[in-house]
Amino acid sequence: MPPWVGPVASYVASGLRTTALLALVSVVASVVVGVVLGTLLTLPSRVVRAVVRVYVEVWRGLPIIVILFFIFFVLPIIGIRVDTFTAAAVGLTLWGSANMAEVVRGAVQSVPRGQGEAAAALGFSWPGRMRHVILPQATRRVLPPLIGLVVNLTQQTSLAAVIGLLDVLEASQRSIERLTLSGGSTHAVPILGAVLGVFFVVCLPLTMLSRWFERRLR
Amino acid sequence: MVLADGYHFELGFLFDHLGEIGAGLLRTLEISVIGMAGALVVGVALGALAALNVPVVRQLIAVYVEVFRNTPLLVQIFFLFFALPEIGFQLDGFTVGWLSLLLWGGAYNVENFRAGFEAVEGGYVEACRALGFARVAAFREVVFPLGTRIALPSVINILISVFKNSSFMVAISFPELTETAVNIVAVTFRVFEMFLALGVVYLGLVWLLSLGAQVVERRLAIPGGH
Repeated sequence: MPPWVGPVASYVASGLRTTALLALVSVVASVVVGVVLGTLLTLPSRVVRAVVRVYVEVWRGLPIIVILFFIFFVLPIIGIRVDTFTAAAVGLTLWGSANMAEVVRGAVQSVPRGQGEAAAALGFSWPGRMRHVILPQATRRVLPPLIGLVVNLTQQTSLAAVIGLLDVLEASQRSIERLTLSGGSTHAVPILGAVLGVFFVVCLPLTMLSRWFERRLR
Repeated sequence: MVLADGYHFELGFLFDHLGEIGAGLLRTLEISVIGMAGALVVGVALGALAALNVPVVRQLIAVYVEVFRNTPLLVQIFFLFFALPEIGFQLDGFTVGWLSLLLWGGAYNVENFRAGFEAVEGGYVEACRALGFARVAAFREVVFPLGTRIALPSVINILISVFKNSSFMVAISFPELTETAVNIVAVTFRVFEMFLALGVVYLGLVWLLSLGAQVVERRLAIPGGH
């Protein structure tokens, strides 16, 4: 192996750990917040739905990069200082939870109305209807788009490099720059190729799992 | 309005930079429109080829789709911009801009159109064949018009994503709207107002696109449903 590979690999691997942690935090937070908001979107109250709808439309409509810039550069002005990791995690969660809310709403509403009405006729209260009738059916429908969102969030963590977080992509960029400065070739093809490979190896099985769940629904 | 650290909220500076912002918006629209149109063409063409199930061709298309769907767009952009010159392909920011959006959106649309074509009921094709249509004619006359309409909502979602993702070009310093905003902030330090205005412009355009998409979807809805 050429001598440049060792140090670059260990540097990029440390960036990869940051990326993995960021993906984990954003996915968990997005799912938790998204499930709550998505459930609120299925409530009868118009006011609650309108408020959540605004949240969902704003954070889903903005490019993620603009959300990240906003949090990283604008929050300090109102006196909240955030590091790059927190800014990236919060930004990805705003975007991810808005998308998750739509996924949950779609799944709950895809359960035929008659199911809930039948349960109500049998004397189930709202929590009972949700727990025993609606959610078991909705969960199955939620799985394919949920896994899709996990894949999407994992890929979007790479945007944190743009606000300077030392993730797998930023570590690769810095390695390429360092190799350029020390003379010699940049080795951008193998380094960036490896980053593509890492994401591919993580995301492909998830994508295939999502497709398998989708086929099983039919 | 005074915020923490004595920051004064002041929108007036935006007018001094209207020219730059307009030029940035124009570049955003240029790479987005080329990327969206390309993603549509690639999606329909390769989606149809995949649905027709030609051996080897279908596998090649699957490789393209899986590679671009399962890796981040930003890393794809970096690869096109920083790595390709190493093997002799020097692309400028504009080319990387529309090309990366086209390849990324195209991969998702191939999947969407293929799924749409395959969702058309088999009975329709059998009826065509019984009436003496060739396989290709049955696809052209029946599967294509129905399948494209079934695929439309998810295709439109991807096209809107293509527009939003044109902002990724800030990472290669191509002066589209987001990069322009970052540059204006670097000169004026008006962080809050600039990014607020940026958000308003993107949201407005995205909502406008969604509204237009709803009109198109209603116009093209399959009469009587499918």
